Amino acid sequence: MRPLRIGLTLRILGVLVVLGVAVFPLYWMIVTALSSNSDLFAAKARLVPDFSHFGVFIDALAEGKALGWLRNSLVIAAGTTALSIALGIPLGYALSRFSFWGKAVVTVLLLFTQMLPEALMVVPLFSLFRRFGLLDSLGGLILVNSAFVLPIVALILKGAIDGIPRALEESARVDGARPLTVLTRINVPLIAPSIAATAVIAFFHAWNEYVFAVTFIFTPGKQPASVGIANFIGELGTPIQTVMAVAFMFTLPAVVFYLFAQRHVVAGMTAGAVKG
Amino acid sequence: MTVPKQQRTSGSRTETRRRGSPRGSKWTPYLFLAPAAIFILVFQVVPLVQEIFLSFTRTSLLNPTHSTWVGLDNFTRIFGDEDFRRTLLTTFIYVIVCVVGAVGSGLAVALLLNKGFRGRGWARALVTIPWAAPGIAVALIATWMLNPDYGIVNRFLDAVGLGVPGGAILDSPTYALPAILVTTIWQLFPFTSVVLLSALQSVPPDLTEAATVDGAGRWWTFRAVTWQVIKPTIGLLAILMTIWSLRRFELIWLMTKGGPVGATETLVIDLYSQAFDSKQLGSAAAIGMVGVIVSLIVVAGSRFVARAAEREAR
Repeated sequence: MRPLRIGLTLRILGVLVVLGVAVFPLYWMIVTALSSNSDLFAAKARLVPDFSHFGVFIDALAEGKALGWLRNSLVIAAGTTALSIALGIPLGYALSRFSFWGKAVVTVLLLFTQMLPEALMVVPLFSLFRRFGLLDSLGGLILVNSAFVLPIVALILKGAIDGIPRALEESARVDGARPLTVLTRINVPLIAPSIAATAVIAFFHAWNEYVFAVTFIFTPGKQPASVGIANFIGELGTPIQTVMAVAFMFTLPAVVFYLFAQRHVVAGMTAGAVKG
Repeated sequence: MTVPKQQRTSGSRTETRRRGSPRGSKWTPYLFLAPAAIFILVFQVVPLVQEIFLSFTRTSLLNPTHSTWVGLDNFTRIFGDEDFRRTLLTTFIYVIVCVVGAVGSGLAVALLLNKGFRGRGWARALVTIPWAAPGIAVALIATWMLNPDYGIVNRFLDAVGLGVPGGAILDSPTYALPAILVTTIWQLFPFTSVVLLSALQSVPPDLTEAATVDGAGRWWTFRAVTWQVIKPTIGLLAILMTIWSLRRFELIWLMTKGGPVGATETLVIDLYSQAFDSKQLGSAAAIGMVGVIVSLIVVAGSRFVARAAEREAR
């Protein structure tokens, strides 16, 4: 029994270290947000949060800018989710259920787009957006974010539809249902868990997106939180407690949703990213 | 869930085929595909083609509609430039350390979590946090933790006697890249470990048991059984990590902007500063193309190797 015990103790110790490493930076965000100035700049750092300063979160929102940023992020992320799923379901369905000329090209293209850095595409997209009057608008960001997340959404949904027996569709067709009806009535309800996972991916892809937002938005009132928070880095005017409070409120939804959708998201990312 | 189950009688599938029931016309797939295809065409393919064109021209950000065709000039110039060769080297170091670090640490964590113990579900969930956190927030907290005067990292390093003189890790040509690498790997290891954990769980327990019964040591069992099962997953993760690392922008840009003196400048950072600081859209595009081509070579090369290995196995 004894060697087993030692092995188990070591394992649990290892897990605790890993968890500490994983969680510490976020924990530190909270501690910093809740510190007083004297705590922050004292010779010895305060290591536990001081919840008597909880008001910093409310102040950060009440101050106005942060709430506007988060609202803009929400609009962009919700729009991107809706649009990329609306386009991704039919694309995934076509790739899963039909064989047609050009299918291989489309699949390779979807995989290839995963290699294109946003920073590379930002220049030509800037001129495109200027031509179509899409600069400085949240709608423009919804369009470009949808385009960047669409391939992964479509590939994940294709994989999900692959898993549905065709027989279910055939029987609906006997009743004379049209292809679109078959898709919306039979397939969509069955792949609901995968749609939820892609919704999480699409939502937080847009929520986190920075390069396009910082380049295409000029009006401070239209900035999303990613840009607002990034501007804090290296800036000295705002108290660090406020900065961390805003950053934490920006981070929390992403963490919570990913925890719930974790399994589906990870399975989808690996399947979608490579198999196609 | 309104699935007409009662109609799934045996043979219904072949019968409908024979009757040639309406699968729609041959245009049906294109109708499903069209909206997404137009979208990807407009926002990905057309800009990419423009970018390829730009890489053969001299074009200023201040006057982007006026391009002068210069052929391969941008490419010969950047490859002749010492700074660019350094950028390439930094990129390769960054990518290789990210891949090895993320896959290695992911495997270690996955092996830790692979055995059942109380609270494993919680551990698994908490480990995902770094990956779920937005890159912007990660860059922000990392910068604050590395703050020369008040950052917790310096306080800790000073306490254990490993302090960097002056504490300015992100301003040091020696320590800036390692700091960014640690931050990157911190963000990636949850992903690799969760993926590898599910691969480990597909290792048939009979096999490892049989190996143990046969008197095989732990290491031998790992190499002969476990490693063989997870090898394809490791390969897949290595490719993904390579592609992602060649694309990564915000984390590096927000923490160091590629500095100090180019110590953390990867291809993507270089292309962005070429375009927006030096206003040279042509050479920016050329630098970007180099990155995309490297990505393509890695993916195509790995597929080739995988196929060759498959053929050999047969």
